[in-house]
Amino acid sequence: MSGAPGPILEVRDLHTQFSTLDGVVRAVDGVSFDVARGETLGIVGESGCGKSVTAMSILRLIPRETGRIASGSIKFEGEELTSLSEEEMKRLRGHRISMIFQEPMTSLNPVLTVGTQIAENVVRHLGVSWKQGRERAFEMLDLVRIADSRRRLDEYPHQLSGGMRQRVMIAMALSCDPQVLIADEPTTALDVTIQAQILDLMIELKEKTGTAIVLITHDLGVVAETTERVVVMYAGRKVEQAPVEALFEEPLHPYTRGLMRAIPRLDVEADAAGTRPRLQEIPGLVPILTQPIVGCAFAPRCSFATDRCRNERPPLVDAGAGHLVACWEVDRVRRAA
Amino acid sequence: MTDAPVLQVDGLVKHFPINGGLLQRQVGAVKAVDGVTFSIRRGETLGLVGESGCGKSTIGKVVLKLIEPTAGRIVLAGEDVTALKPGAMWTHRRRIQTIFQDPYSSMNPRLPSGTIVGEPLENFGIARGAARDDQVAQLFRRVGLRPEAMRKYAHEFSGGQRQRLGIAKALSVNPDVIVADEPVSALDVSVQAQVLNLLIDLQEEYGLAYLFISHDLAVMRHISHRIAVMYLGRIVELTDKRTLFTQPLHPYTEALLSAATAPDPKRRRQRKKIVQGDVPSPAKPPPGCHFHTRCLYATAECRVTAPPLLEVAPGHHVACLRRPVGGDPGPLSIPG
Repeated sequence: MSGAPGPILEVRDLHTQFSTLDGVVRAVDGVSFDVARGETLGIVGESGCGKSVTAMSILRLIPRETGRIASGSIKFEGEELTSLSEEEMKRLRGHRISMIFQEPMTSLNPVLTVGTQIAENVVRHLGVSWKQGRERAFEMLDLVRIADSRRRLDEYPHQLSGGMRQRVMIAMALSCDPQVLIADEPTTALDVTIQAQILDLMIELKEKTGTAIVLITHDLGVVAETTERVVVMYAGRKVEQAPVEALFEEPLHPYTRGLMRAIPRLDVEADAAGTRPRLQEIPGLVPILTQPIVGCAFAPRCSFATDRCRNERPPLVDAGAGHLVACWEVDRVRRAA
Repeated sequence: MTDAPVLQVDGLVKHFPINGGLLQRQVGAVKAVDGVTFSIRRGETLGLVGESGCGKSTIGKVVLKLIEPTAGRIVLAGEDVTALKPGAMWTHRRRIQTIFQDPYSSMNPRLPSGTIVGEPLENFGIARGAARDDQVAQLFRRVGLRPEAMRKYAHEFSGGQRQRLGIAKALSVNPDVIVADEPVSALDVSVQAQVLNLLIDLQEEYGLAYLFISHDLAVMRHISHRIAVMYLGRIVELTDKRTLFTQPLHPYTEALLSAATAPDPKRRRQRKKIVQGDVPSPAKPPPGCHFHTRCLYATAECRVTAPPLLEVAPGHHVACLRRPVGGDPGPLSIPG
């Protein structure tokens, strides 16, 4: 882990847009955040909130035919990523910044053995021999606790279970000691018991290697149990950011509050047999991102909304102790408890 | 809730053949459902929970008679429907309807939504023409859609609205039982709450029985009255939801509960006994208790003897050799 000061990743006023037949989709609409060295930052939100597009923008994986980073800055170790050439980005990806996705099968090559794929990444980025690359692959499979790792090196992805494939993806992603690991819904496709194993593994490896993790998910349970700081996104914008304890202790944005009340919970006192309390709904739908959003994007669904909310975009303000929220009515929200 | 079960399933078995070799002979079988018994009363939700490959969705399909059971008995509203051929089953389809995870794939993209929802009314000769349109409009209102939306096509609706369409269609023939297979898994949380609330309201209004299939324990606890936990084709524990979540007796149930994440950072690191390893293949389940390969408490006996599902306490059924009838419900000891 580098002892250099300052965040490892700085995203400033990022705008990422896609051209569609219905018009320009403002998928990410002015998002800023930092990732500190060695921390786990969660980005949470529902489908279409821009969380995955934010990740793809950092990795510069936005499909060129339809999308583009319209403006903003992404700095990794002080270096501006938005102006790098594709060649330069390729040298960075899988080496100093790496990623894992929801469905490992789509990111693994079906005709190459697991060992070859991990070794290839190491050989390409670190310039070592194939023999050393293969040795590294063996080490990595051990690290992610794949039993019988020597034999598994020579297996193909289809011979592995879903949980094991995700372990292989993690092994590959960490094989060149990256400073940042971007994990987009890494456990969403996995069964509950396997999800728990993978989350525990990610946290353990993060502590061992000092790699910062950006964890993108829709699952508040996963966020609560694995991250240190959380960014909440809605309709392409950051609406709240806080240390994880503070966010769950006192969510300040009406959207975050709504989300937390809408989920059925396992950890609250069991209710008497037969009674089923109503879940609190968030009325309405997410806005259509091809139309410009005036004011707060959540205003049409918000019970606190005023005329100001409908007309002026609320800035992010610090509500104390690093808890940022973009809401004009935060004082009223707070009092409403 | 009345006591007579509206759906009764006895010893249900569904094996899928595995063919192999040069002549494609049957060389084995995936025992997707391996002797399952349960019943559901009017107005009751029975949850079926388990991980992929446990057979929960296959049970749903067999109960709907979309696929034929290998063995066992299905009694729907007092009538044995196990052996009915598709033609004879048709009249019983009014009694049992289904809601899918992705209703979009079951909707004709070229038909207006009103026609899709009204199809069963015509098929079963319940209503035609203007009378049908009236009933469809009422159904739309009942599930929270505007009747004007009847002219719109499936792709013009959001995911949550499509699920409302699917519910309206299932409701149209006034069934006794609805099989709901992961009906909210594809929905965002804010929309998921709307659909769960709607399902509960409709159940209370019409006395519907739900067979609710899901992998999500929190959703399950919210909507179910009783819950059956499945592992590799068998029910390992079946009881009312309060007991299941406060006093689980089967080691697999305990593992599932401890693996579930909760939206509470203070609970982090409190997870204790997470099972290791993967679910074995249902084509080659381990002998004895299927769970013994991952179970902390397994003894030599568990490796050879399949545990029967026993009512160890009133209404609490468990299939575990270490949980005998009237046994101590306290924590199990790990064998030396």
